[in-house]
Parts: sequence; structure tokens; C-alpha cells
Amino acid sequence: MLVHLQGSWSPALGRLCMKQLAFLHVPILEYTFAVVALLGLAAVGAVTYFGKWKYLWREWLTTVDHKRIGIMYIIIGLVMLLRGFADAVMIRLQQDMAIGPHSPGYMGAVHGYLTPFHIGQIFSAHGMIMIVFAATPLLVGLMNIIVPIQIGARDMAYPYLNALGLWLTGGGAALVMLSLFIGNFAHGGWYGFLPYFELPYSPGVGVDYWMWAFQLSAIGTSLGSINLIATIVKMRAPGMTWMRLPIFTWASLSTNLIALTSFPVLMVALALVGMDRYLGTHFYTAGMGGNLMLYNDLFWIWGHPEVYFLILPAFGIMSEIIPTFSEKTLFGYATMVIASFAIGGVSWGVWLHHFFTMAAAPSVNSFYSITTMLVGIPTGVKIFNWIFTMYRGRVRFELPMMWALLALSLLIVGGMTGMMNAFASNDYMWHNGIFVVAHFHMMVLVIASSIFGAVEYWFPKLFGFKLEQKWGKWFFWFMVLGTGFVFVPMFILGLAGMTRRLDYIPYTAWGPYLHLEMVGIGLYGAALLFFLAHLYVSLRDRESRRVGADAWGTGRSVEWMTHSPVPSYNFALIPHINARDEWAWRKDNGLTELHPGDYEPIHMPKNTGVPLVLGAFFFTLAFGLTWRIWWLTALSTAAIVIMIIVRSFDTDTDMTIPPNEVERTEKRRSDRASDFIATGVPPYAGGPVGTATAYQRLPEPAGGTGASSGGRL
Amino acid sequence: MSGHAANPLHHPEVSIANGKTYLANFVISVALMTVALLVVLSGMAPFDVFLVTTAIGGLTVIIQSYLILHTDTSRGQFWHTFSLLLFVPLFIVTIGLTAWMFHGLYQRTMIMPARSGASPMSLHTRAGTR
Amino acid sequence: MSAHSTAVDPKSASLWARHYPGHDVIGTRTFGFWLYMLTDAMVYAALFASLVVLSHASNMVGGPAPSEFINPRVAYEETIALFASVLTYGLAMVSLKKGSRRGVTGWILLSALLGLVYLGLSVADNVNLFQHGITPQTNGFLSAFFAIIIYHAVHIVVGVAWMLVMLLQIAKEGFSQNVVYRLINLRLFWHFQAVIWVFVFVFVYLQGVVL
Ligand code: HEM
Ligand SMILES: [Cu+2]
Repeated sequence: MLVHLQGSWSPALGRLCMKQLAFLHVPILEYTFAVVALLGLAAVGAVTYFGKWKYLWREWLTTVDHKRIGIMYIIIGLVMLLRGFADAVMIRLQQDMAIGPHSPGYMGAVHGYLTPFHIGQIFSAHGMIMIVFAATPLLVGLMNIIVPIQIGARDMAYPYLNALGLWLTGGGAALVMLSLFIGNFAHGGWYGFLPYFELPYSPGVGVDYWMWAFQLSAIGTSLGSINLIATIVKMRAPGMTWMRLPIFTWASLSTNLIALTSFPVLMVALALVGMDRYLGTHFYTAGMGGNLMLYNDLFWIWGHPEVYFLILPAFGIMSEIIPTFSEKTLFGYATMVIASFAIGGVSWGVWLHHFFTMAAAPSVNSFYSITTMLVGIPTGVKIFNWIFTMYRGRVRFELPMMWALLALSLLIVGGMTGMMNAFASNDYMWHNGIFVVAHFHMMVLVIASSIFGAVEYWFPKLFGFKLEQKWGKWFFWFMVLGTGFVFVPMFILGLAGMTRRLDYIPYTAWGPYLHLEMVGIGLYGAALLFFLAHLYVSLRDRESRRVGADAWGTGRSVEWMTHSPVPSYNFALIPHINARDEWAWRKDNGLTELHPGDYEPIHMPKNTGVPLVLGAFFFTLAFGLTWRIWWLTALSTAAIVIMIIVRSFDTDTDMTIPPNEVERTEKRRSDRASDFIATGVPPYAGGPVGTATAYQRLPEPAGGTGASSGGRL
Repeated sequence: MSGHAANPLHHPEVSIANGKTYLANFVISVALMTVALLVVLSGMAPFDVFLVTTAIGGLTVIIQSYLILHTDTSRGQFWHTFSLLLFVPLFIVTIGLTAWMFHGLYQRTMIMPARSGASPMSLHTRAGTR
Repeated sequence: MSAHSTAVDPKSASLWARHYPGHDVIGTRTFGFWLYMLTDAMVYAALFASLVVLSHASNMVGGPAPSEFINPRVAYEETIALFASVLTYGLAMVSLKKGSRRGVTGWILLSALLGLVYLGLSVADNVNLFQHGITPQTNGFLSAFFAIIIYHAVHIVVGVAWMLVMLLQIAKEGFSQNVVYRLINLRLFWHFQAVIWVFVFVFVYLQGVVL
């Protein structure tokens, strides 16, 4: 059954042997390993020193609280973002050095400092990490935290599955990180390259690492999508009709529908690679009746919906931030919702634009060209809606708003260049070129900007204090500068015909542009330092920036109706929803009391360590498969099956919080929003118009764009 | 977090079970599959077999999803039916557009072997204008 | 549907849902599981798309034409076994409605048994093909062919195992909320296999004969 392998294999260790411990012989990896090992030791040491292991285990690792799970998703995302950034720096440095035949070479490279095999691994890891292990966990984490609160629920539909999804993603991320030091990673691009990824041409473990890590995160993400959809459909608070659903929740619903429908196709695409590599089948082989284009087909059936899976939550975030900082209801709520679903729908019919050059019939290419362009319509609707939301609003340029506006601007650039790609005739010229790379980096920066905006925006909700503004603004502006310096030259080089993934640049004339891009990387590096300063100063001075329930003073949706930080049960009493912008409506009508009293017992799920252990076994399963250590594979599989069955016999999974404990928790939360209303002193809001508060009703302008809860369209 | 008092056996998704429809489903499905088998064994022209069996298969699936998967619009089942309807176009897109793309691709890049048609697509070509 | 038509009078509005009974747990569980079944159907859609792509004559190099080895009669027998099992599982659900423990247990045992009959037929057929050198490693078409059939058979194995676990749980807990929603999920799972099998039988076996 199993394929014949090149190289050594032993029953105990599979393909693993001393030679594979890459960090022992590759100079760059020696340093990386030293740094990572030191950081790891420091973390372990710190936890031990402060005696926090028990706390970590009880409050975080075994938690089923959707907010804490979300925070851990975001931490994984940020760590992997850093790793992806390090990869980016290395790629840029190589392309900055290896220009022209006379450029010198170091550390075994003919030009620059990276060998082709090494830079191949770096760009593959960069792309895969950024999409799968940075952007996805960051967005999933945000949705995980915000959606249940926004719909007035106490938890997700499946708290236990939620934790499992987190640990699967964590296991995948760990696998990618491990590939740095043990063995190597795939070297043919993040989306795979068939038949190059077949065993005869890529005999190492790199492709296997890539495949299994991808697969783990795919399983995790699709479990997560089931959970969010079931939560939104079944667990909305009474009174929350579909047309009262907060817009971010709508965006989450549409995006998770994309995940639900498209991820299975990715699993198939990858599983068939696995069968070719492990069992010797011929799905994608060049001969023997395989078809390598089948891989591209299956991969991009998922791949294009995936990019919209990433951008729709970003749109949702922008749709939350812009009304709050314009002090107006969102313009065109219904069209926003329709546009989200239209984008989701169309994204399912455009995937061939990633391989226009396959040689499909002209009618096929034309069809996909046109469907691709159709996506511009709903996207345009959204852009205009955001602009009309700001129109005649009281716009405050606080950090979340600045990020949202940056996202909006980048979206226009990315969308326009996407339209240029959509012409098959254009794409024939620059497919697999740097222009395409610049296009999608505009798009992923839309996502990144919205995520930073969301972190600024919702941070006080979770932690009870705001992040400071000074270093945050330095961070923001250096991100803007970095983006300009890296990507404007990249667009120009793309039109000049530079192809992607080069380890050596043959034309010295491209040098100046590549040097400019290196400057941009320097600016990004500075931005990173400002980000750290931003976090540090915020944490240090947190006492001076404590906030109440309505942290920004002009929040509109349900999440601002509970205390900051949010108690574990979210709402002492489930809110009854009366309007679309419920909190704005309550403020308009003076109904801001958040201590209703007469508390009732609350049922909550109990913590459990099972998901973490399952995640660990999935990790060892993937590791065993990667290295073909069959006993480990069998053992992990058996452990997983047995644990799932045994857990299903456990009936002690819930607990009840008695009313007096709820009351005690509630009393401890001083709720500043209601204090302010009582005393008439507005909370800090900042911005050019001075202190603005949400309780002041804006004079209703003609034309129905007023601040009241209704809002037409 | 939930209504604990209610007896789980009174849940609408329990009471939906119905022996008669399950039996009817069995009889109809087996009958239709038998017809399909007989069509194949009858030596009909391949393209006709392709059409007839596809129609029978489609019919069976629709009947089964109504009779045993209970995809109706009752309150308990509404979301099940709705989500299924959401998926169906995507199944069609996945298989249909793929078939269309590769049909053209094979025509343009593969040498057509002499052996008679080898896929629903090539059957289609033969029955068409060529 | 505009916000105006649903405007609430703030003076009489209710702000907090006291004595809120919570969401319908069984309905939520089965809905989530149904979504999972749909993703599984999408897996099949992708596999069928692969089969379509890999059904060109050039994908059959080095192996026999499908009409030379596909045996629709065995597949027909498998069909009967599976449909019968689906019927008996349905009858188990009828017994559940009546609250009859013996009925549920008996019908589920019968379903598991019929599932095993299906598996026996399927394994015998495939082993026979393997012995004739017709394997997934032969060519692209056969890879896709076996991928679908084996993937379906794996579902039957899982279903039978699940039935045995449910028998234990019924014995231990009776018809608690957890057991009931799992029995409903298992019904969804098992009945879904019948629907998928219709596709496999018609598009893989029957149409394979005339390929
Ligand atoms: C207005 C909407 C958009 C249009 C018309 C569009 C069009 C295109 C086209 C035609 C390509 C293929 C170019 C080629 O490979 O030759 C492409 C690539 C890509 N686009 Fe977009 N796109 C749009 C939005 C997005 C969004 C929202 C994202 C991400 C969030 C995105 C991410 C990507 C990625 C990642 C690739 C390339 C993947 C790769 O080759 O590695 N695009 N886009
Ligand atoms: Cu695309």
C-alpha cells in the first residue's frame, strides 16, 4: 500500500534522524533557535517564578469561555504575524542584495545570503502563515469574542468544540514553527505546486509539514464556522430579529457561511496530495492518468472564497467603527447586509481567475472574467455606504477610526488593481508576477488595518481600559509609510514585468525600486517598535484610562450594554432587544441602567482539559504522519477516538452560578456609563470636536441620515 | 443555559419520526434503484442511459431528502431545509463549472484517443454536432 | 422590514428577559450536526468533481475500462442492505418517540447488523478488484473511483461504531437530553449515507458501466 521512500527510515523514528535537526547545522537557524529557545525558557521561567501555572491551567488552557478562547486565538495570530513578518524581512533583504551578476554571495549562496532552497521555504512559509495562521486566527478570535456578546448570548452554541478549534489551530501553528528546526518546510509556494509537490520531486518532509499544518487549521476553522453559524441562528436574545442584528454579526454570518461551504474542498485538495504522496495514487501526477490542473481547480475553489472569508469580517469591523466615530447610524444597513451576501455568493464563481493561463476555452475565461468583475458592485456599494455614514456625521479621528479609514483607502487601491487582474488578457501578461502580489497585499493590508482598528476599538470592552493614543499614532503612521514604500515600487516593478518568488534579480535597473522597498521594510520595523511601546505604555498607565460599559461614549450595539471587562456570563440578565442600534436607542430614551437587580441563577459550561489534550494528540498525529512514524500515528489516532467516546459519557459538564454570586460580581463592576448619566459628566471621548457624548441627540437633518436608532434603507 | 424541565422525548425532532414514511421511502427508493439497474442492463445507448439514470438518481435524492431527512418548512426543520438549499447551488457550481472548464481544456490540450467516449463530457461531444 | 414598522415604545419596552428559558438545546445540537453533514456532502461534491475530471480516456491508461470491471449487481445488493438499515434505524426513532427502550435497542442492533452486511459486500467486492490488479495506484481514474467508494465505506464503519456507543449510552443513561440529541444526530448521519449512496450507485457504478 505505502509508497517506496527515498532515504532512510526506521520503525522507531520514521524518517527522523540527527541529520534532520536543521538547527544544528544551518547558521541562520542556529541563531533563530537560540533566540526562540531563550524566549521560551524566559516564558516558562516567568510563569514558574510568579507561580502562575495553576492560574494558566485553570483560567486559560482549560477554559471554554468564548472571550478567553478568542483572546488566545488573537495571541496565536499576533505571534504568527511576527513570524510572518520576519520571513518578509528575509525575503526583502535577499531581493535587496542579489541584484545583477556582480552582487556578492554569503553563507553558501551565490548571490545574496539565501540559497534558492532556503528562500523557497521562506516565501512558502510567509504566505501560508500570514493567511492561515495570522489573519485567520485574528479574525476568528475577534468574531469569537464579539458575536455572542452582540447577540446577547452567554456563550457559543458549542463551547467545547470552540476550545477544540482553538487547539487545532494552535497545533497547526506549532507544527509550522517546528518545521523551522526539525526538517524543512515546503518550498514551492504557499498554495502548493503540483506535480512539483509529488514525492519524486519533493522527497523531503517539507511538503508533508505544509500539508498537515494546513489540514489541521482547515479542520479547526470549519468546526469554528459551524459553531458561529449555529450560535447566530439559534441563540439570539429575545427581540433580536434579523433586521436588528448588529452589522458585524451579519458579516460574521456571511463569512462563516463561506468557511463552512469552502473549507471541505480544501480538505479534499490537500487529502488528495496526501494520498499521492503516501499511498501512491495518481490524482495529480504528471503521467499515469493524473491531472495536475485538478489540484489548482480544487485549491482555488476554496482559495478564492477564502480571501473573502478574510475580508468580510474586516468589512464588518469597519461597519462598526465608522458609525461609532461618526455618531450616526450606519448608512444603508440593508444594502450592507445584501452586499455581504452577494460578495459571498459571487466569490463562489470566480476561482478560475487564479489560473486564466491554464488554457481553458475562451468562453470559460470570459465567463470568469465577468463574474470576477461583478464582485466590484457590492464592494462599491459598501464603500459608498461608509462614506455616506461619515457624511454630515461628527467624525472623530481616534485610533480605531484612523485604522478603519486606512482600510477603506487601501480597499480602493486593492479593488481597482483586482479589476485590472480580472481581464484575462491583462492577466496573461502579469500572472505570477509582482503586480498580482502587490494587489493582494493591498487586500490583506485592508484586513490587517481593520484588525488593528478592531483591537483598539474592542480592547477596552475586554480589559476595562483604553490603549493610549500617542505611540499608537506613531505606529499607525509608520505603517502607512511602510506600506507606501514597499508597495508602490512593487506595483511599478510588476508593470515592468518582474515575476514573483525570485531568489536572484537579473536586471540591475530594478535595483533602485528594490532598495526603496527595503526602506519600507525599515519603516515597518520601526512601526513594530512603536507597537510594542504602545502596548507597554498602555499597560503601565492603565489605571488612568479605565472606562465604563460604553467605552467610547458613542457605542451603538449590544456589546456596549454590559460591563467592561465583560463578566464571564456576559449579561446578568439576557437583554431584550427593541431596536437595531439597541444601545443607541436606550441612550436616546434614557434607559441606560445596567443593574436591573433581582438576579437569577445562570447555567454555564464547566472548564475542561479535554480539548487541549485532543489538540495535543492531533499535533502528534500530524507530526507522526509527517515523519512517517507509524506507531505514533496509530497511538494518537487511538487516543483521539477513545477520548472522544469517553468524553461523550461524561454528564458532569455544566454548572450553575447562584444569584447571590451574580449579584456580588455585578456590584463589583462600577458602571461608569450610568454614573456619567447621573452626574452629567461625559466620558473621555477626545477628537477635534471636543467632548462628544452619545446621549446628546444630534439635530435630525432632513433626509433621514440622523442619529436616532431607526435609519432608513 | 437551557430549558431543563422539558422531556426530551417531546422534542419536535423526536416526534417527527414516522414509520409509514420510512417504509414508503424504502419501497420507492428500492424500486427506483431497480429501474435504474435494469436500464443499465437493458443495453440502451450509453448517452440515453446517462440521461435516464441521472434523472432517476435526482428523483430518488429529492424523495429521500423529503421522506427521511425531513427537509420541509415546519418550524423545527426550517433551518435544516434552508441550509440545504443554500448548499445545493454550490454543489452544482463545484461539479458543473469544473466539468465545463475541463471539458474545454481536454479538447484543446489532449489528443483524443480512439476508444469511444470516456466521460459524460465526451459522451456529450459525441451526441453533439461533431 | 424597515426599522420604522417595528419601532417600540420606550415607555413600555421590556429591557431584560427575565426567566428566559434559554435556547432549544436539542434543536441547536442537531442544527450544528446538520451543518457538519452538509460540509461532508461538500467533500463528496469535490470528490465527484475529481471523478469527472479524471474520467477522460487519458486518465485510464494502464488499467481496464470501467465497463470491464464494474459489477453493478453487487452494488445493487449493497443498496438494498443500506436502504434496509436506514429503514430499521428509522423504526428505532419511531420507538424512541414511544419511549420504548427495548424497541430502540433492538432496531439499532438490526441497523448495525445490516450496516455490517453492506460492509461485507463492499469489502469482498473491492478485495476482489484488488486481487485482479485493479487498485487505486493503477491510474488517475481508479484513484478517484476508489477514493469515493472507500470514503463512503468509512462512513459506514463510523456509523456502526457510533450505534454501538449509543447502545451503551442508552443502557447507562436512558433517554436523557444528551442521548436523545445524539440519537437524532445519528439518524441524520445514517440517513444521509443513503442519500449519498444514491449518487455513488448511480454516478459511479451504473454510469461507470456505460463509460
Ligand atoms: C474587487 C475584488 C477583487 C478582484 C477583482 C480580484 C482579482 C484577482 C485576480 C484576477 C487574481 C489573480 C491574479 C493572478 O494570479 O494572475 C487575484 C489574486 C489574488 N487576490 Fe484578488 N481580487 C479581489 C479581491 C481580493 C480580496 C478581497 C483579497 C483578499 C483578502 C484578494 C486576495 C488575492 C490573493 C491572495 C491573490 C493571489 C493569490 C496567489 O496567487 O498567491 N483579492 N485577485
Ligand atoms: Cu481570487
